[in-house]
Amino acid sequence: MHFDPFLSGGRRLAFGITFGLGALLATTAYADTVLSVVQAEAPRSMDPGDHTASATGTVLEPMFEGLVKRDESANIVPVLATEWSTDATGTLWTFKLRPGVTFHDGTPFNADAVVYSIQRFLDPARGLAAAGRIKVVIDSIRAVDDLTVEFKLKSPYAGFLELMTTGTPKMVSPTADAAGTLATTPVGTGPFKFTEYKSGEYVLETRNENYWGTPPNVDQLRFTWSGEPSVLAMSVQSGDADVVYPLQPALVLAVQSNPELKLIDSTGSFIYWLSINTQMKPLDDVRVRQALNFATDRQALVAALLRGFGDPANSPLAPSNPFYDAELATYNYDPEKAKALLADAGLPNGFTMTTAVSQRDAPIAAALQGMWSKVGVNLEIRNLESGVWSQVAFADPSGKAADNLGSTIASWSTGAYNPDLQLRPLYATASWSPGGANLGFFSDPHLDELIDQGASELDEAKAKPIYVEAQKLINEQAPHVLLYSKHNLAATSAKVSGVWVAPGGAVNVAWATKSE
Amino acid sequence: MKLYFARKFLMLPLVLLGVSLLVFLAIRALPGDPARLMAGPEATQEAVDNMRIRLGLERSLIEQYVSFLWNALHGDFGISIQSKLPVTHEIAERFPYTLALALCAYGLATLVGVPAGVVAATHKGGWPDQIVMLVAIAGASIANFWLALMSMNLFSVQLGWLPLLGASSWKHFIMPTFALGLLPTAIIARMTRSSMVEVLSQDYVRTARAKGLSDAVVHRKHALRNALIPIVTIIGLNFGSVLGGAVVTESVFNWPGIGRLLVDSVSYRDYPMIQALILLAVVCVVVINFLADVIIAALNPRIRFD
Repeated sequence: MHFDPFLSGGRRLAFGITFGLGALLATTAYADTVLSVVQAEAPRSMDPGDHTASATGTVLEPMFEGLVKRDESANIVPVLATEWSTDATGTLWTFKLRPGVTFHDGTPFNADAVVYSIQRFLDPARGLAAAGRIKVVIDSIRAVDDLTVEFKLKSPYAGFLELMTTGTPKMVSPTADAAGTLATTPVGTGPFKFTEYKSGEYVLETRNENYWGTPPNVDQLRFTWSGEPSVLAMSVQSGDADVVYPLQPALVLAVQSNPELKLIDSTGSFIYWLSINTQMKPLDDVRVRQALNFATDRQALVAALLRGFGDPANSPLAPSNPFYDAELATYNYDPEKAKALLADAGLPNGFTMTTAVSQRDAPIAAALQGMWSKVGVNLEIRNLESGVWSQVAFADPSGKAADNLGSTIASWSTGAYNPDLQLRPLYATASWSPGGANLGFFSDPHLDELIDQGASELDEAKAKPIYVEAQKLINEQAPHVLLYSKHNLAATSAKVSGVWVAPGGAVNVAWATKSE
Repeated sequence: MKLYFARKFLMLPLVLLGVSLLVFLAIRALPGDPARLMAGPEATQEAVDNMRIRLGLERSLIEQYVSFLWNALHGDFGISIQSKLPVTHEIAERFPYTLALALCAYGLATLVGVPAGVVAATHKGGWPDQIVMLVAIAGASIANFWLALMSMNLFSVQLGWLPLLGASSWKHFIMPTFALGLLPTAIIARMTRSSMVEVLSQDYVRTARAKGLSDAVVHRKHALRNALIPIVTIIGLNFGSVLGGAVVTESVFNWPGIGRLLVDSVSYRDYPMIQALILLAVVCVVVINFLADVIIAALNPRIRFD
């Protein structure tokens, strides 16, 4: 607030109070149908390329579109591209663009706009948060004619089309980006237009009357957020919210027993795990890592922590992934076998190890501590605030050795289906933290080979056995204690339909219907 | 008297300079790398390094502090790491909400706490006294977080009388004001009671009574004016804890004020925002205490000559 230094004290105070109350009492003009969505966190950016958070994706999704997307049934469908093809080498991809589309600010959508949107990521000086994945895959992009673009990849990459469906490569108005206003005033081609961002309170979006496709059913979308899970649940119970996500498993019963509410229970792509520091004694011994896996009662974890809304993990891929192998042998809960393996590894009396966990996941650590104590493993828990946790978790090998950090509890989801986006960052040698999310410095040349082979195999039928072998190898070598995959739970008012949650946790509300 | 205020006033910039250095260093001592947090877990090391340069974190601490101070003196607290907007712009948008909420809570505390304390003191040992003290003890013991959740459940979910989240109408004020105001109300009521009880036993009150003045006049003109001195001190000292309570209350009720902004900024390690917000809070506390000193001096002439 700017104060005029020439105002007298009394007038200054009066001015301040008037300003404050005026701002408070100014009410928002509501349109006919407003769909109110309450999430767990605030949007991190208004630039779709500058974040990797699914809650931010939920807010931006109705305003921005990519060339292709995954629909509710997980099929890849055309959006701003009408058709696409790849050459025999798998490195040259051509997209035909939809004619007659304009951005919300009137800028025409064409090949130049696509080239501009993608080149933002390739420019290292921009340092966009979501650029990482795209930069390693795309070599260059050019406009062939006004409605055709050509991507040249660095090497054949089976996940390319998948990558184009994710939240990242959305088309942004070159005019808005060049003006530097994109971070505050988002401009895309989507069915909703940005209306207002009331700092700390809500984001308001209004129906785009010039939308090229099927128009949305509601007039406005209003996004707000609360970090308190019980407040989230109360907001849908009181009617303040039409849609809330995520819903804590403990609060499901209140939703199910209320006829005015609906529960959305869909499989997720998040896998929760404990990453073992494979560079540290005695955890470098595969028998010890397997013992920890046998000492873990996954069914009990799912029952206690998720109230059953999850699946015990038997693979580094979630069941929603098309390459997931349901036949994999799981580590059944077998404390005797765990003890035998530990004795075999020269640790008949067990040992002590530490784990770093962020406060949100602390109950997992407590449960593991109890389970593992039965086989003589003493788990020391470091319960950390999330910012501190990410610094500790992403330390390099010498940092973790100095810290004597034996393990880290975390979860990972690609928000997509391609296994490369799950396996490469977590298990490839090149992904050792801090450069990637291989937090336990696991390294297996054969696995690296399999990951590369899978990534360059464009034929799904041929890629499947490669990925099945990779899943088996990861299970045997046990760089992680795989825990569970969590369901995505959301609640909506019974009046609302057409809302769905993608496996990665982004909520799709653009085509929701709300009856009065 | 003038010297007294001049001395107090001249201390302000020194206090602020010291606090600015402390805040600056304390924030940088926080573990957690803002560049890594901003870039996200999937970012490559190169992306994290680029982010660090973008945020100006690669410079030395002294360089960062000097430029922070220089810019702050010019009213520029930098660009928020999270919202990409000028920090002053965002604080200007959100400070009025916190100010309005704090004024409402303090208004409630003063309008209810002082009369309740007076009633308790003048009925010392009687049932009004016992009721007031019972409510005050309960009010001082209940965590405002718990109270907020319980009142939300009762008034929004069960009864549907009040809106749950946000700040867009007067109805939105009711629950947060109550949640934030309860503790200061309780403290002020207790303080007023004990202060009044003490004053009422003084000789000059007995003298006033002996002169044949009515109870009402004695209480208002002779007792309350003197009893107010420690009450004003307590109100001033408690302002910091009201700001602290606002952090919790604003987070629970989705109140778009600076308390909630501070919580969000800490979780994103939004250095420029945290620095500006803590400095603002310090300025508020210092200014309120300065005002409390002024009011006390006005109430009690003896202080001015100390």
